[in-house]
Amino acid sequence: MSLNKYKEFEVNSSSLKEIRSFSREILSQIPEAKNHDENIILAISEAAQNIVKHAYNGRDTSDLMRIEFVYENNILTVNLLDKGDPAIPANIKPRKLDDIKPGGLGTFFIGEIMDEITFKISKQDWVNHLTMTKKI
Amino acid sequence: MSYKITEEGNVSTVFLNGEIDMEIREKAEQVIMPLVEAKKEVHLNLKDVEYMDSSGISLLIEAHQKAGEVGTKVVLKEISKSVLKVIMMAKLEQILNLD
Repeated sequence: MSLNKYKEFEVNSSSLKEIRSFSREILSQIPEAKNHDENIILAISEAAQNIVKHAYNGRDTSDLMRIEFVYENNILTVNLLDKGDPAIPANIKPRKLDDIKPGGLGTFFIGEIMDEITFKISKQDWVNHLTMTKKI
Repeated sequence: MSYKITEEGNVSTVFLNGEIDMEIREKAEQVIMPLVEAKKEVHLNLKDVEYMDSSGISLLIEAHQKAGEVGTKVVLKEISKSVLKVIMMAKLEQILNLD
């Protein structure tokens, strides 16, 4: 099967629950995702949280973020796009395993769950473009 | 998220439920941290927590560290399967007090 769907959400922490719900709905349409769905939902929610926290620094905005799902040939691709401040790729790093402190955990979870993560900055419609893929 | 607190001697047990994410973290922090700062032994019952992300895990780390500073402890009780999975993913099962 193949699938290509997206939805846009307000950039704020109240959207996270709605994003998880949308992700659950999409993943439920992919039988192969059954054993991975809660982890993938965590990765997506963490990436969305990073947009609120870092691309917008927690400030109020009327901007939307877009979450796109593409599934083909057993590869799930999730794109997260936003119009916030351009991220500095060197600053996107997970915490070290032996560094027991809050912070950096979300990026660590994303790295643990997904197979590949790429990040692009554009000057066109969307500024930050995170792509996460997983073979399922 | 809703919660309930029971007290027995110096032990405060906080029963949390629902989803603990970035939106809910502050509320959870306002419930847990004053108990820790009051040097209570805090038991967090996580049986009914369906989802916890890095914000919730960060709060558990902060509460654990603060408890150590003030000479008490935070114990995680009846941890739901989904929360345990995230704690283990963060490799914190040897750091936090799991019961």
